[in-house]
Amino acid sequence: MIRFLNSVWYNFKEYIILTVLVILSLFIISQNHSPAVQRVRAIAFGTFATVTSVVSDVVNIKSLKKENEQLRETNAKLMLQLSKLREAAIINEELKGLVALKDTSGYPLIPASVVSKSLSRVQGTITLNVGNIDSVKVGMPVITDKGLVGIIYSVSGNYSIARTLQNVDLKITVKDERTRENGLMKWNGENLVIVNVPKTFQIKKGDRIITSELSSLVPFPVPVGVAAGSNNIETGIFNEIKVIPFVDFAKVENVFVIKTVASKEIDSLELNFLKKYQ
Amino acid sequence: MKFNYIISILIFIPVLIIQTTVVPLISIGEVVPDLILILLVYYSITEGQIYGTVLGFIYGLFFDLVTGSLLGSSMIAKTVAGFVAGYFSSENKVDIYLMFFNFGLIVFLAALVDQIIYSFFSSFDISSNILMIFFQNAFLPAFYTALLSMIIIIFVPKRRNL
Repeated sequence: MIRFLNSVWYNFKEYIILTVLVILSLFIISQNHSPAVQRVRAIAFGTFATVTSVVSDVVNIKSLKKENEQLRETNAKLMLQLSKLREAAIINEELKGLVALKDTSGYPLIPASVVSKSLSRVQGTITLNVGNIDSVKVGMPVITDKGLVGIIYSVSGNYSIARTLQNVDLKITVKDERTRENGLMKWNGENLVIVNVPKTFQIKKGDRIITSELSSLVPFPVPVGVAAGSNNIETGIFNEIKVIPFVDFAKVENVFVIKTVASKEIDSLELNFLKKYQ
Repeated sequence: MKFNYIISILIFIPVLIIQTTVVPLISIGEVVPDLILILLVYYSITEGQIYGTVLGFIYGLFFDLVTGSLLGSSMIAKTVAGFVAGYFSSENKVDIYLMFFNFGLIVFLAALVDQIIYSFFSSFDISSNILMIFFQNAFLPAFYTALLSMIIIIFVPKRRNL
């Protein structure tokens, strides 16, 4: 028997090792959402991000000058917009008082830098240099001045990982700013698309897409992108609307984490796709 | 053997840092070359199939842990990629396999296997066009990785004779 086993091992050891490692990998895939695995991951990427943040700073020094110029220009434009918005805000407050609406704006922002990126076509993630210590929590939205970048997925002491919109595991409820029609947006590995849009909806090419207040992940409007036409599905009553994001995920370096987590009450009532993958 | 593993893991750490900080800067569209796979193929060819398989598993584990991708997806992909690359580990042909064009072809094959498995385990949308998925998610990254590997292998010193 031992001789037989020895002979099997000698002849097929490469295949036996491959099989064992593949089975082990499959087992680990099935354990992805266990708290123990999440803890190990938080420690691992926290440690790794400490090193990459130094390298990232060095790499990004060159682009800082150009970015500074762009920021100055943005600042000037924002200053002009701000004076307009101040005027609008005063009127808005008066109107809100009249219709007794709650204010949903004014969330504090946590500034962060991207220390590393994993730009796989299906699982885009970025590592940020803010974590538990900065009050970052799982589920907080990540934005830039252009729009939504993603959602915080995992947090360690000083660092956090965010899933970008180019991640098949992230689905967000969005709406057309013009028509107010809602839909579920996801990354299909190729494009950002709003799926199952009834053909009766009037979403047109060039419409601005923003997050919907129906979303339990980003419950206030944040710009996402522009509609770039529909992938007309021949059969059925639904269309797919292609969305071009405002943010270039490959180039994003500085972001803000919005210090808010969706209401627990809403979470318990709605299907929260983030929770599903944790 | 154990010492070899330590060396290959130590080399892996700076490569992983470069992969997550510098490599995104040379991405074309969303096509990113995989430096870790190039390193894995090199070790699979020079050290053998079992070594490549185990090393692929270790590299995949570390990669999944630090990048936030589905834990296990890179592990399984790189384990199989290391195994495939290990078929080209015949001791008396190592120098031939490490030649510019041959090495590129082996990297292309291993990267193709790696990307197909990785895409499959990254909860892929089945409703998308399979051929397009294969082309964009597997073929293009594999091709880019192979091109880069041919440039890198020029600067790698020739292996000492055993």
